[in-house]
Amino acid sequence: MNKRGVKQVLRFSAQQLVTRWLVGCVCGLALIASNAYAAPVVLEVIDAYAEVHSGPGRGYPVFYVIEQGEKIEILSRRPDWYEIRAKNGKVGWTTTAAISRTIQKTGEPADLPSVGYGDYIKGSFVTGFSTGQFLEGDLEEFDVFTVSGGYRFLAWLGADVEYGRLFGSGSAGDLYAANVFVEPAAHWKLSPFLSLGTGEISMDTQPDQINFDVESATFNTYGLGASYYLGRNFVIKGEYRWYSIDVDDETERFGTWKLGFNTFF
Amino acid sequence: MPKMIRFGVLLSCVLLGSLAHAAGGGKKGLKVNSELFDIGIIAGSINIEDFPSQFEPLLGVNITFKASEYFFLQYNFIQTEIGVSSVEANDAIAGFGLEDRDFTHYDLLVGYNIFQGEFFSSDGQANLSNLYVVGGFGDTEMGGESNFTYTIGAGYLIEFARKYLVRIDYRDYIFDSSLLVSEGEETIHNTQFSIGIGYLF
Repeated sequence: MNKRGVKQVLRFSAQQLVTRWLVGCVCGLALIASNAYAAPVVLEVIDAYAEVHSGPGRGYPVFYVIEQGEKIEILSRRPDWYEIRAKNGKVGWTTTAAISRTIQKTGEPADLPSVGYGDYIKGSFVTGFSTGQFLEGDLEEFDVFTVSGGYRFLAWLGADVEYGRLFGSGSAGDLYAANVFVEPAAHWKLSPFLSLGTGEISMDTQPDQINFDVESATFNTYGLGASYYLGRNFVIKGEYRWYSIDVDDETERFGTWKLGFNTFF
Repeated sequence: MPKMIRFGVLLSCVLLGSLAHAAGGGKKGLKVNSELFDIGIIAGSINIEDFPSQFEPLLGVNITFKASEYFFLQYNFIQTEIGVSSVEANDAIAGFGLEDRDFTHYDLLVGYNIFQGEFFSSDGQANLSNLYVVGGFGDTEMGGESNFTYTIGAGYLIEFARKYLVRIDYRDYIFDSSLLVSEGEETIHNTQFSIGIGYLF
């Protein structure tokens, strides 16, 4: 097989991997979603009133007001909003805040998703992506983007797996990694974190312009960054990450900045 | 590719573990049907710089996650074939021809809903609608090249039924290519117009 052929095969595998990953995610999400269907949730509003909008956004007009003590049925949920049906059959949207103080038929307080505060991140799935650039070493000026999926075991501890792609002039490669995150103050709006990871880089092509003349290499990383919570489950994060890459029995150090978004569900 | 298999196994473990967790009702509290995701397919046309417009099938898939009232994240994958460039069509320049005529692109975008509104299709019928902008980055593979790509775009969506939506999108894929230049690289813009349908879940 000629060089180009090898390149194509490598490409194809990477593409297949991404496609499979997406298909896997979609199937997984479909399963989670189908699992979410359950008996209708009927609640009683205990606040003085709750406004009902025609759509799930603060710009949509208010067309109905639920009174105190009125029973409502929760139909569906979108970020920050619930679709409800009032007793007289009117269907509309209320903010999660407006119906956070509701009780069940049994008189117990309703534990609605995305209403409770505190350790709400604990036990969530995390998905996100980031982009960045290598700043030092042989991979200087290589652009990189990554997509990741993981799980937040505790409010301050999470882990993820990451797939990324590197681009230099005339060369490109794949990056696979597994990372652990420690975020001691996740309840702060701007919250610092520490990351530790390990993984592998493999290049599609052998670039002659740069000294990074390896097909694949393993690496360890550590990074420092900060998350900024734009919304309840939407985070923008910046990080500086140091890569220690093993090349020819020597360890080379590269630095990279990353900027990305994460979301919890 | 043992490392890919290893990575695949690792990823499957995480997915399976998470599914088991979800099935076991890992989260406490009342269960409410969530509509945080939509999955869709698109068809359209793309205009690749230096190549003729593609009305050959441009097909794509996407998955969108609503992160908040205003923001969403979207993964896109599109595929088409590239036509014959003017350079190739010119007989005077012999010996130039691309073997690899597949154009594939995927990207990761963050979107912002600028104008949330309603679309009035008939009397007494209001469908939720949205005008949004997107931006992000991804990978474009064309003619044996693989390039880091910036994506910007705008779109409009209408939820025409309770669980279905229609999207009309404009996208610009921007990257540096050395395919048709003798030296160095040129920045090329590839604009796409597409229409798609999606399913909310």
